[in-house]
Amino acid sequence: MPKTILEVIDLKKHFTHRKGMLSALKGKEQSIPAVDGVSFYLKENETVGLVGESGCGKTTIGRTILRLTPATSGKILFDGNDITNMPTGELRKLRGQMQMIFQDLDAALNPKMRIRDILKEAITVHHKISDAEVGKRIAELLDQVNLKKSKLSNFPHELSGGEKRRVGVARVLSVGARLIVADEPTSALDVSIQAQVVNLLRDLQKQLALSYLFISHDLRVVELISHKVAVMYLGKIAEIGLARRIAHKPSHPYTHVLWSSLVEKQSKESLQATRNVQAGSWGVFDFERPFTGCRFAPRCPVYESKGKPDICTNPATEPQLRDIGDAHQVACHFPL
Amino acid sequence: MKSYTQISGEIGEFSDLPFWKKADVVDLAYVGYGLLIVTLVVVSYVLGSFNLLPHDPQDLDLNLMMAPPGTVGHVLGTDFMGRDMLSRLIVGIQAYFLPGLLAIFIALFFGTVLGVLAGYRGGMFDTAITYFTNLVDSFPRLVLILLVIAAFKPSIYYIMMVVGLTNVPVVASLIKGKILFLKQKNFIEADTALGLPVGTIILKHILWHNCRTLLIIQATLGMAEAILMETSLSYLGFGVQEPTPSWGNMVQAGANYFMQGKFWPSTAPALAILFTILGFHLLGDGLNNILEGKRRGT
Amino acid sequence: MTTAPLLKIEDLRTYFYSRSKQAFIRSVDGVTVELARGETLGVVGESGSGKSITALSIMGLISAGPGVISGKIGFKSNGTQKNLLQDLGDYVTLTKKDDRIMNVSKDLVEWEKNVERVMRTIRGKEIAMIFQNPKSSLNPFVPVGKQITEAIQLHTSVKGEQEAKDRALYWLDRVKIDSPRLRFDNHPYGLSGGMCQRAMIAMALASQPSLLIADEPTTGLDATIQSKIVDLLAELKSEFGITTMLISHDISIISRLSDSVAVMYGGTIVEYGPARDILAPDFASKHPYTEALLASIPSAQDIKEQGYLQAIEGDVLDTINTPPGCRFYGRCTRVTDAIREKCAYKEPDLREIAPGHKVRCWLYFD
Repeated sequence: MPKTILEVIDLKKHFTHRKGMLSALKGKEQSIPAVDGVSFYLKENETVGLVGESGCGKTTIGRTILRLTPATSGKILFDGNDITNMPTGELRKLRGQMQMIFQDLDAALNPKMRIRDILKEAITVHHKISDAEVGKRIAELLDQVNLKKSKLSNFPHELSGGEKRRVGVARVLSVGARLIVADEPTSALDVSIQAQVVNLLRDLQKQLALSYLFISHDLRVVELISHKVAVMYLGKIAEIGLARRIAHKPSHPYTHVLWSSLVEKQSKESLQATRNVQAGSWGVFDFERPFTGCRFAPRCPVYESKGKPDICTNPATEPQLRDIGDAHQVACHFPL
Repeated sequence: MKSYTQISGEIGEFSDLPFWKKADVVDLAYVGYGLLIVTLVVVSYVLGSFNLLPHDPQDLDLNLMMAPPGTVGHVLGTDFMGRDMLSRLIVGIQAYFLPGLLAIFIALFFGTVLGVLAGYRGGMFDTAITYFTNLVDSFPRLVLILLVIAAFKPSIYYIMMVVGLTNVPVVASLIKGKILFLKQKNFIEADTALGLPVGTIILKHILWHNCRTLLIIQATLGMAEAILMETSLSYLGFGVQEPTPSWGNMVQAGANYFMQGKFWPSTAPALAILFTILGFHLLGDGLNNILEGKRRGT
Repeated sequence: MTTAPLLKIEDLRTYFYSRSKQAFIRSVDGVTVELARGETLGVVGESGSGKSITALSIMGLISAGPGVISGKIGFKSNGTQKNLLQDLGDYVTLTKKDDRIMNVSKDLVEWEKNVERVMRTIRGKEIAMIFQNPKSSLNPFVPVGKQITEAIQLHTSVKGEQEAKDRALYWLDRVKIDSPRLRFDNHPYGLSGGMCQRAMIAMALASQPSLLIADEPTTGLDATIQSKIVDLLAELKSEFGITTMLISHDISIISRLSDSVAVMYGGTIVEYGPARDILAPDFASKHPYTEALLASIPSAQDIKEQGYLQAIEGDVLDTINTPPGCRFYGRCTRVTDAIREKCAYKEPDLREIAPGHKVRCWLYFD
């Protein structure tokens, strides 16, 4: 029975939006609830995909889980340890096991350092190792990520996109990652290179029993690589369940809208359904129109078709995630 | 219509070229000249400290007053009291060299510390430091120096401390700007995520790899400024006093003889000031372009 | 019965001189293609394929710096045939030293002047372009409505302030932006990506150009917004029949909007033909790159079987050190022993192997 490597309980991350320097004093600070009460868990050797549009908070969750930004409230449990407020000194020792692959290809790579030095640094972060050992480990890593040895003496700007991504992966592995938060690992790459990276990640999972939190807006890749998928909308999880189910028999109307936007899948009916919905500044937190009840209501075709029932927009009855069987949870009063 | 298809040829392997081939000729010239000046200054300083001079700078030779350069025994001629110009110029360096280094050290050290705090930690540190640096910046430097001279001894070291302090805001804001720029590129965050200790991130990744050019340039500019400051003050009579030679007071003393048509006593130290400051500025400029890999023109 | 094409590009080459490498970066290395009136050409390719540079070359936006262009771009402007690259070669001189290009000296001022002379009346007015990253392509300091109004006053006969404003509102409405009056006064940062893109489309179409170039119009936008922009473009296409060159790496929108497709790799077109044929999964005679590209996208089949994706091994072509033979040779999985020699040393030309279908591959002809 694989154990749970990551558990997130009612995680919240609010950003304060200051209007001018004195707003703190005047109490006029407004907070943007980027992540507003998210709970899920990730087991070893499992991939959970996290999808949603920009502004839904998926990148923020990734960064909060890894303590790159402090959580506002909630709990983060890594391997059973509560790391939500763990002091940085203690946390540093665990950091090696929970790593991030950044969306920006150049993120992890100091442009002034050669690849060899970048990897060497990563290897020696937590342990003191002899040079010979380092050499061996580097060779091992290059082999694992399929990178040519000749690239070691190059600088990051001399590498192609795919190669940079692979160095990033190697760096993360070298420090002993068991949980990897992959934030849009394929977006900056060409389609043919994306395939290489996706294959690589799957291979590595098989070899090293890694766990991935795979954040992406590419629905096809997410469906391919994930065991479970969580769909986020404006800071909350709308639906979470097995990948196949989410993609083909979604329960939440938003999931349905999302998946049917894959251009080739557009059928006449789904086009009709989405067209009737009011085109507002959706997906973006709007101070002028704070939330009342279900966040998706303004865009929801089901809400429309049911004659705008009050239960959806009443803040007291905001839909919460509930179990509908088969490791499937949905936050909706009228699931499909 | 012209076609460029026929053009091909060997590809140069640019990154592997030694830096003197990669850099612009102009920059190399600048750096060459700058290094020459630096060498001369350092050598002169050493000679001066150990008194290895061609003549005693205070040695009067009333027979040979205001001799032009090239006179036997006096390569650069003599001043209006018959003292050897070259020896005086060499000793004049004593007046600004160590103090200049002090100014540079203060500016770079405190500037870096404040810059790192403001840029890396941000938040309250940033606000506080910004206020502080704005405050220091708005002080007219010369007034501050004169105040220090009035309050304490007119020691060149005190003066240079002030010069250093007044340069702290510049360095701090450059470092802070660099850090903010680097933060955008995510790799500071990536380093934290990896588990690197904060000290390593700051010292190695930020300062050594990305800020060292900046700091070197500030050092060269700092020295140029120190020279200017010291010579100006000595010229005005506030710095090094006669008979100890300083380029500034040499220009001052020789000024009287200008009217008599005797240009050399004033001109020689003035030229020394000019060429030396120029050397440091060009060194900074050239190094900046070479180290950052920038090109001129096209 | 061929009416003259609206746009006819002949052997377009756009090279950038790299001083550090002392050689040309051959971004666009011989592109020849035609666009008939009302046709939508989809240009597919990955990074380094030269598709964006092709668009910029047509628009005359390659002026500054070490870019040199040769070839001919024929454009039917207001009934007269023009060559958009007229005389440009005259302003560039190369200095060579035994076969290596030491320096490229370009009379920048004259080059610019010449480009402006030719393109001033065409750019924005007869050929309009919309870009990737709409938020950063619009002027961040000027309200969106004003930008469109300016464009209208500049490129159409509508010069009056109020008249132009009305036209701008009309177009904002046409591109289905919500509350056009409100959005008119918004700055780009106040609008979402999708709305900015709509505004940019409005700006482009307001001058009623005869050719629209869309460079990655949906990249960077959310999935749901992408499909809406594609819907909009499809509607505008059927309503106005505007000739379009659509550049993208996203095959799904290319297949939805294009009549014909040109697949680019390493700076040249490697395949050209009707969209529904080339992009159909079961179409037989395709260029190996096109095939590999289509195969690397996760299909429903792949996902069902949870199988591995078919990646193309190797990396994108180095456009400085172009190999002597076929550009795709190192990565091609369909090379046979019979043609291996040819593939490695002789570059095939773009030849028509069936009516309307051209391919650059030794597999299909000698």
